[in-house]
Amino acid sequence: MSTPDWLEHAAKRCQREPLTLGHTLEQYRQLERLSEDALAHELNCTRETLHWMSLCRKPDGEDFRAQVTAIAQRHEVNPLALAKVIRHVEIMEGFARTARDQPEATARLRLAARDRVDGEPKDEETTS
Amino acid sequence: MSFPSQTEEQALHERVLRGDSLSWEDVFRVYLDPLIQTLCRIRRLSREEARDALVDVVLSYLTHPGRFDPRKGRLHSYLTQAAVKKTTDTYRREEARQRREQKFGGVFELLARTPNDSLEITVEARLFMERIDRAGLPEKDRAFLKLVLQGERSTHILAEAIGLPPAPEADHRREVKRHRDRLMKFLGRLGKEDRDVYP
Repeated sequence: MSTPDWLEHAAKRCQREPLTLGHTLEQYRQLERLSEDALAHELNCTRETLHWMSLCRKPDGEDFRAQVTAIAQRHEVNPLALAKVIRHVEIMEGFARTARDQPEATARLRLAARDRVDGEPKDEETTS
Repeated sequence: MSFPSQTEEQALHERVLRGDSLSWEDVFRVYLDPLIQTLCRIRRLSREEARDALVDVVLSYLTHPGRFDPRKGRLHSYLTQAAVKKTTDTYRREEARQRREQKFGGVFELLARTPNDSLEITVEARLFMERIDRAGLPEKDRAFLKLVLQGERSTHILAEAIGLPPAPEADHRREVKRHRDRLMKFLGRLGKEDRDVYP
């Protein structure tokens, strides 16, 4: 079956619809600063396959694993790679939500992260 | 290219309701081509216009599948009707926008002066100012008149222009008004002379 002329437009439109996998793939592409070809390469598929996958509903809830497996099987992509992309976006969205709702919590998190950087000289050592 | 049977449509709709990820892709695969053809035929749209409307309509159904009631009809009829309504709304919005623009354009055309008119007004204004100069108005009156013609309404500034000594605000206001009335009468007389000379 040849590629329908509406596929690319529909996939692009799905990027604006948060419930679609296309939205998640686009978020991941922007977070990781990847081109569409680079994302296709990471998932070991073609751009056309990316477009078809974009039309799917984003796997969610209790049967997340089953949904990811079904999408991966139909489109012949690695289910682990696909699950990793979806989870990565979910984690980053979670951080963004926390930062928005509780700015003091992320400030503490940043401070804690700064304290644990190895090899960084302590304040007392740098002050003369 | 045809639509699926009622049983197939029902099964697909139930998968959408269950939140099956692949069902979304299947709705696009099954419906988009035949719906584009139908919409192009009944609405005489280009393929791109039909495609744009239908992608929105299909996504709207997928995100709110509960709005479709299978007891009232077939899924493809529901999607076709929604697309027809959407294209009608788009057409009406576009028509209203064009009407608004035409109306605005008309008003603008009525209010705007032609370049010739604009030039004539500039020339007339200059000639009139020359006549005011020749009428021998004192410098303070000319300064006052200039401010009034520029739209200045502040009593303080106008009082300063005619050199009023410090006084209570009410006195300044009265003096400024008197001055303005006198100059307006002067301009009226000058204009009347103008009409007598150039009927």
